[in-house]
Formats: sequence, C-alpha cells, structure tokens
Amino acid sequence: MFRILKKSLQTGSVTGQHPVGAAPSEPIGPEAIEKAKPFRRSMTIREVDTGSCNACEMEMNALANPVYDVERFGVHIAASPRHADALVVTGPVTVNMERALKDVYKATADPKIVIALGDCAVNCGMFKGSYAVTGPVDRHIPVDVRISGCPPRPAEILAVLAKLRQDESASGS
Amino acid sequence: MIDARPAVEQVQAAFTQAITEVCAVHGVPMLRVKKQDLPTVAHFLHTNPGLRGSLSLLWAVDHRPREARYELCYLFTLAERKDWLLLATDLHGDEREFPSITPHLHAAKWYEREIRDLFGLVPIGHPDLRRLVRHEHWPKGSHPLKRDFPWDRVLGRVQGEYAFRKIHGEGVFEVPVGPIHAGIIEPGHFRFSVAGEPIMQLEVRHFWKHRGVEKLFEQQQLTEAVPLSERVSGDTSVGHSLAYCQAVEMLQGVEVSPRARYLRTLFLELERLHNHIGDVGAICNDTAYALAHAHCGRMKEQLMQLNDRLTGSRFLRGVNCVGGVALDLSGLQLAQVEVELNALEQDFSDIEKIVFANASLTERLENTGILTEGIAWDHAVIGVVGRASGIDRDLRRDRPFAAYDVLQPRVALYRYGDVRARMRVRLDEIHESIRLIREVRRGLPLGRLVSRPMHQPQPGAWALSAVEGWRGEILYVVMAGDAGRIHRCKVRDPSFVNWPAIQWAALGNIVPDFPLINKSFNLSYAGNDL
Repeated sequence: MFRILKKSLQTGSVTGQHPVGAAPSEPIGPEAIEKAKPFRRSMTIREVDTGSCNACEMEMNALANPVYDVERFGVHIAASPRHADALVVTGPVTVNMERALKDVYKATADPKIVIALGDCAVNCGMFKGSYAVTGPVDRHIPVDVRISGCPPRPAEILAVLAKLRQDESASGS
Repeated sequence: MIDARPAVEQVQAAFTQAITEVCAVHGVPMLRVKKQDLPTVAHFLHTNPGLRGSLSLLWAVDHRPREARYELCYLFTLAERKDWLLLATDLHGDEREFPSITPHLHAAKWYEREIRDLFGLVPIGHPDLRRLVRHEHWPKGSHPLKRDFPWDRVLGRVQGEYAFRKIHGEGVFEVPVGPIHAGIIEPGHFRFSVAGEPIMQLEVRHFWKHRGVEKLFEQQQLTEAVPLSERVSGDTSVGHSLAYCQAVEMLQGVEVSPRARYLRTLFLELERLHNHIGDVGAICNDTAYALAHAHCGRMKEQLMQLNDRLTGSRFLRGVNCVGGVALDLSGLQLAQVEVELNALEQDFSDIEKIVFANASLTERLENTGILTEGIAWDHAVIGVVGRASGIDRDLRRDRPFAAYDVLQPRVALYRYGDVRARMRVRLDEIHESIRLIREVRRGLPLGRLVSRPMHQPQPGAWALSAVEGWRGEILYVVMAGDAGRIHRCKVRDPSFVNWPAIQWAALGNIVPDFPLINKSFNLSYAGNDL
C-alpha cells in the first residue's frame, strides 16, 4: 500500500507531457463540424480495423494512456458500435473485411460521424490496387473526417478531435 | 556458419534412394527429395532422437515463366544443435498434387492449407482442407500467388459459408467472437464451444486482414521494398525490415559494417522494449489491475517519444535500409538514451514489485492458459510463448545476426507455460534489452553506415534470413527476379506459428480468462494474415 502511494507521489501527473500535435493536414469541412455538433461535450468512439498494420491501433490505444488521457475531453471508447457516436476506421478495407465494415456502419445509431484514420483508410496507402483490397473506406461508407499519416501521431489525432468539436460561438449556446 | 554435415550424412545414409541432390544455399544444406518420399523423410527428421527437427517454415515458389515447375521447400531447425536443414521437392508441368506431411507433423497444418489457397497445389492426405486465407466468398480457382494471377485483379463475390468444427451434445453452446472485437485491436474470429464456463473447444478463424502482401512484394524492386516490409506488422517495423534487408544483403553479397550492425541491434532492442512493457501493462489490465496498466502505458509512451526523438518515427520506421542503417546516432544522443533507460529500469522495477506483491493479480496469472512443452514442441511454437513453455530457442543466441555474435544475450526460459510464465519471460527480456543497449553504447564501433552491393543477384537466386523480433522468429525468403525485381518473397511472422497453439492453451479455461490468455500471447493479426 505504502509502496503504491510512494510510487504515485513520485510519479506525479504526466498528463499532457507530449510534443504538440501539428495542425491536421486535411481540412475539416463545415459539414463535418456541423455533423459533430451533438458530440461536442461527449463523443463515444468505436474503432474498426479493416486491414491496417496495427500501428494505427497502437496510436489509438495510446490516446487512452495517462499521457494523452483522451477521456478528459469527453471522448470515450465503446466496445460496441451500438453505443458509438463516431466510427474510427483504419486500414485499406480488405475483401474479407468489406462486409463487416458495412455491417458495423449499419449497426451504429444515427446521428453518427465516420473518421478515416491513417493513410491506408484515406487512400489505401501502400496496399492500393492489390487484389485483396477494395477500399478506401469512402468507397464503402460515407467518410466525414480524414486524418492522414502513417500512422498519425496521437497528438495529431487529439488535435483533429479538438478542432472537429470546437465551439466557434464559444461564449454562447 | 554452423556445421550441419553430420545431420545431412545421417539423413543421406537413411534415404539413399529418396534423395536426388545435395547442395547448400548460403550455407544452409539442402536435400532435394523425391515427392513421394517426402512424408517419410520429414517424419524421420522430426522423430529421430539425434535430430529432433522441428518445422520452421514451409513455402512454395512458382518458377514460371523461366521454368514450368513449382518448388516446395521445408525448413527444419534441428533442436540439438540448432542447425538448419532444408528439404525441397519439385512439381513439374501440370502436377498439382503433393503428399501432405501434416499427418506426421502438426506444425505443417496451416502452411499446407496456405499453399493450397495461394498456389492451388493440393496436399494429398491433409486432414483438414477447408479454406484458410481465401474466405468462402472468394470465387473458385482464385490462387493469387500463381504467376499468371494479376496482382490487381478484382475478385468477384460468391456465396459460401465456413464450416466450423461442431461439438454436439446437451448443454453445449457456441460463443462467436469477432471479427470486430470489443477493444481497440485487430480483427479475427474466435469460436468457442462451451458447456457451462469451461472452454471445450476453440477454433481460430483468421485472415480477415489479408492484404496480398506477398504479391505486392513481387511488384517491387529488391532495393525498394523496405517500406512495405515495415508495414507487414506495424508494431514490428524494425524486426520485419531487418529480416528483409538481411535477405537482400545476402543476395547482393553486402558486408554490413560493424557500426550499422550495432545500431540495428539498438533499434531492435528499443522495439522489443516498448512492446514488452506495453504487454506487461495490458496483461495487468486484463486482470482489472488498472494501476499497473497506467504506469506501463506511461513508460511505453516515454519510450515511443524517445524513438520519435531519435529517428523521427515513433515506430522506428525508416531506420533500416539495404546495406545498413539510414541514420546515425551521436555520442550525446546515446548518452541520453542510457540515462533515460537507467531511470526507466528503476521505475519499471518498482512496478514489478507492486505487481508481484498483489496476490489477487498473481492468482489470476498462475495456472491460466497452460501451454505444455509437449504441445508447444508438436506445433513448433517459438518466441516469447515458446520460451515460457520450455522451448529453449532464441535466434539472437542460436544464429547470431546484427551484433549479437559479440553482445551475447542471456535467454529467458521458463517451463510452466502459463500466463505468469509468459509475463516472466517478458520481464526478464525487458531487463536484458536495457543491458544490451548499454553494451551497444559501450562497444559501438566507428565506420560507415551503408555498404555497397558487390554484385546484382542472378534471377532465381534466393536467400533466407531470420531475425528474433520481440514476438519471436521472423523469417524472410527473398528470391530475385528479372531486372532487379522480386520474384518471390515469403514472409513468416511468428504469429502464424503460434496462433494454432492458442487453441490448445485455452482448453479447459473459462471464457472470461480467454482475453487474458490472448493478451499473454499477444500475437499479430496483420503479420499472420499478410
């Protein structure tokens, strides 16, 4: 018990100890910001991997660690698409995952937004043209936000999520 | 190179009729065997007490258009001396059938199904010929690794359903899980048959992420495919790119400079470090011990930021190139690495003490998901999982690459095969990695970073390289084609070997313990599915 307390006191708070994320490379359209309006205070994400190399998943997982602590911005990760406001899709959409992706999209309740995370999800990246790839994601389901990078750094993902959900009329409503 | 001659002579003496040719490929002895004798020779290699060969890799090559033949190669690791031995056989002309060795060697099961799917060659006598890589909606006759299959062909979609193995009986239920899981992890399907809580049978159905990686390699130049190898399994960017580079260097006769070898060792150990620390945290998290997960997550993040500062990539991408390493580290940077890692080791040791003082946590780890040494041996299990089940294999010691011939790592070995043993292996390897990085700093020689190729490989020349990544043995077979292109690249992530074994480790455990067992294996889906 004392060992745990001592460790916690020694460690202190590490939240926010990361390099600043660069501005998102792809602009976020006004329609996407409008669509994300209901999720400004709280947004629940379901992550769907459609054939990524696992690097994007690791960076999404990093968002939940104490350094990025995405929950402090009201962003939660849900276990089921039924509980989700947003789908974060990674990977170039393989032939074997195509059906599962469409099913997940249907299973997510409206209103919802779709975020394509990483170069593969945005434009199939290095796997473009392969017989086993049918993507990118926006060939199969409508995509609202694109975050490029291979993989995008967690701080960049945070920056996009913040920009998407910022309130322009900060004082009002 | 290790001398495997006695083993070769032993096999030759036993099978004078079956062997048609003896040669060596980059120091690895290769016996060409008549097709029909293959199962008996393989069985002999596997069971002979002096050889105890375990199947490390089985791959096929379509030699068209140069020759109208398919070649099958079987790589055995002889357990006593850790030597390699290759068996090869040919299918000429219109032959499409070869005898299955699966009835004698469990380890060949997935390899032969894979060859059947990707090449359309049929292993006669295989006990389970359901599709593996090609899911049921793929049209009949689509075998993508045949040379006449265009890499960018659009596959149609047909009706079909995979037949899971069923257990019938009163009170037996099936629990389907996946392909999309509850956490942020890769897709795969697990089918549990349960009666009450205990798992009676688990069937793993994978290859949802099949992206056609091996076919994509064949579209690339030998020297330009390093970025693709880094994306086979993103968490093992260094391991995969190093294995690929080593194979090409063997083909080109490149002598990598000692400095580049040391730096490769450093990057490989950094990769091992952040993945192992992440795994320890994730195992604790699956026992609901969030405190250790938070601390490990913090340390893993610290390491990835260190990677980013050193190389500009949190996953250490772009460090390996054919002929050496693409970037250098200054003495100051190395000193900072050592200071940071010394502090981290102290930090991590504190967490270790906290974890092992927690009986409600260790209780969950002990006796959970036991993979016995016998089953591990039968399935040729390797890497962290193997070393937790008494399989004493580590390529860093057995077939030294990079700078491991000088640095000599100590190999962690446990025998109990449960979740605790797999965690123990990781803990030991974390300390060993930090020690090795200190050694690298102490011994780092001066020299150039990239060495030039001596010659361009002849079309048809091939090389086999092996790297002990953080999960286990990564194997690459690279065959040169015309005009500097790749004719064939076989990629083998350790996950491909270890996935079938998890079906055995889960038996008799309760379903809620499966996530914990799965986490303690922590296998790659992307590297398995290719």
